[in-house]
Amino acid sequence: MTTATSSLRELVRSDSVHRSVYTDPAIFDLEMERIFGRAWLYLAHDSELPQPGDYVVRHMGTQGVILTRGKDDAVHAIYNRCSHRGATLCAFEKGSATAGHQCPYHGWMFNADGTLRGIPHPGGYDGVIDKADLAITRVRTETYRGFIFGNLAGASAGPLVDFLGHMKTSIDDLVDRSPTGRIEVGKYQLRHYYRANWKMTFENLNDTVHPGFAHSASVVSAKAVMAEVGQENVVPSVGMMLANGKPIQFFQDLDMVTAPGGHSYIGGHMGADYTPDTADAYTAALIAHHGEERAKEVLSVDRHLMLLYPSSFWHARYQTIRIMRPVRHDLTEMIGYTFRLVGAPEETHVNAIEYCTGANSAASPVIADDLEIYERCLEGNTNDAREWVPMSRGLREVREQDNTRTRSPSTSEIYIRNQFAAWSEYMGSEYTGASA
Amino acid sequence: MIAEVAALIEREAALLDDRRYPEWLTLFTEDCLYWAPVSPEMASPREGPSHFRDDRQIMMVRTHRLANPRAFGAEPSPRTLHVISSIRIEEESDSEILASSSQIMLEYRNRGRFEDDQRAFGSRVRHRLRRTSDGLKIAEKRIDLINAEAAFNAMAAPL
Repeated sequence: MTTATSSLRELVRSDSVHRSVYTDPAIFDLEMERIFGRAWLYLAHDSELPQPGDYVVRHMGTQGVILTRGKDDAVHAIYNRCSHRGATLCAFEKGSATAGHQCPYHGWMFNADGTLRGIPHPGGYDGVIDKADLAITRVRTETYRGFIFGNLAGASAGPLVDFLGHMKTSIDDLVDRSPTGRIEVGKYQLRHYYRANWKMTFENLNDTVHPGFAHSASVVSAKAVMAEVGQENVVPSVGMMLANGKPIQFFQDLDMVTAPGGHSYIGGHMGADYTPDTADAYTAALIAHHGEERAKEVLSVDRHLMLLYPSSFWHARYQTIRIMRPVRHDLTEMIGYTFRLVGAPEETHVNAIEYCTGANSAASPVIADDLEIYERCLEGNTNDAREWVPMSRGLREVREQDNTRTRSPSTSEIYIRNQFAAWSEYMGSEYTGASA
Repeated sequence: MIAEVAALIEREAALLDDRRYPEWLTLFTEDCLYWAPVSPEMASPREGPSHFRDDRQIMMVRTHRLANPRAFGAEPSPRTLHVISSIRIEEESDSEILASSSQIMLEYRNRGRFEDDQRAFGSRVRHRLRRTSDGLKIAEKRIDLINAEAAFNAMAAPL
């Protein structure tokens, strides 16, 4: 497999993609450099770093970075790497480093912004080094409504809002649902992994045709339980499994919205509603904050998952974000967590927690099936015989198009074609090098 | 008392290893909680997402599904072996007993992937047992995996 830029573009056709994009480790390495090294990647929410000195460690593709709230209250992102011998500065995912980050090896001290503050035994460096040269490389960040994004391409990347484009409305949807305008990150994260390519999740989560097949076991089982306990007694998480068994026409009628950059979302959420008591209390709180008209507008936004290519998955209605961490071409981690709508009844957060558990746990009957399918696709695609994987479903079914977005039936594979259009654009242009 | 408790905990594990799920369900109360948190610090499943936090209905779906040949995540069927030790009674009242045990579950699925096909789950398990007219029942089974915070691959076999 040659990886010259011209031949990389040839791996993507208008209706199919070459199987090597899932199976070739060399392509994975280039994806890290050219996609994850250039796109805006969601890193953290402001509320994860409430106090000066608070830090979290995140991945941008295979690169580890530290986000620290400085004494100036700004959040700084730097690579997780001491500029001396290269040891990681932070071993834990989060913590507080009010005095700065100290390397465990020779005690070098760094400020939140990566500048080298001190070397405990500086004598041998007299006239040898300039501390300014040994600052840790910074990562460019921008924030949208409290969500912090990073870009490894530094100054050569365009602004975050351009990257988000129409998809910022799905982020607005999440924040606007708060009756105080504030959201707060939940305390716990839920992770799963699978031994297959990262793109499998992107191509699966907005696929509305697979549930009737891949998840039929949990649909059949949920129906059997419903028959036993009575329809009126079905708990919300079982209701969520039943949603996968809706007739295909239901999904054909829903909209799939795709936008430049590989992003997409499905119109119409599927699953559990708030209990009437919770819904009443929540709606009243929302009206108090927004006014009746605006509150109605906020609640009328009805979207399922938003896929922000290439690294995060947003569910405004259930206040859940999932972050993708590609590890190798055949190993991927997914990290999920919830947000509390500050001022909403606690039950709304419990609802989000239930969604997050069902949508991101390896023990979820639905996700367990997806993970198995991802791994089978990797194994199958390493078998010879066919070079091209079709992504042609709904090729002639576009409903409406302008330059910000395209609307199609949610059963269309247009969101996969749209991802590979972005893939091709990222991969097919020469790397200009990171410049922070 | 400890003998009665130990017998119940061991019987529960044996029913799982033997895949006798309908009988396994009869060991639990109607309002039971079967829970694997993502952190030992979690006091309630309402505090955050869990690996699972099943009520009886989800347990019914889960076990019904394991018998379904279209359950890809459970095909081929996982074979499990629970090893239990250090059963202790932590608290007791007239109506309830809180018992803890150390458990290792080995799980094997024959997928032709060599050592990846066998996994080990180590956990501290707490059973909250309730005295009912129908004998001692499990009101809550909390499984604190030693790697609770870690990412897991598909988990189909009940822990």
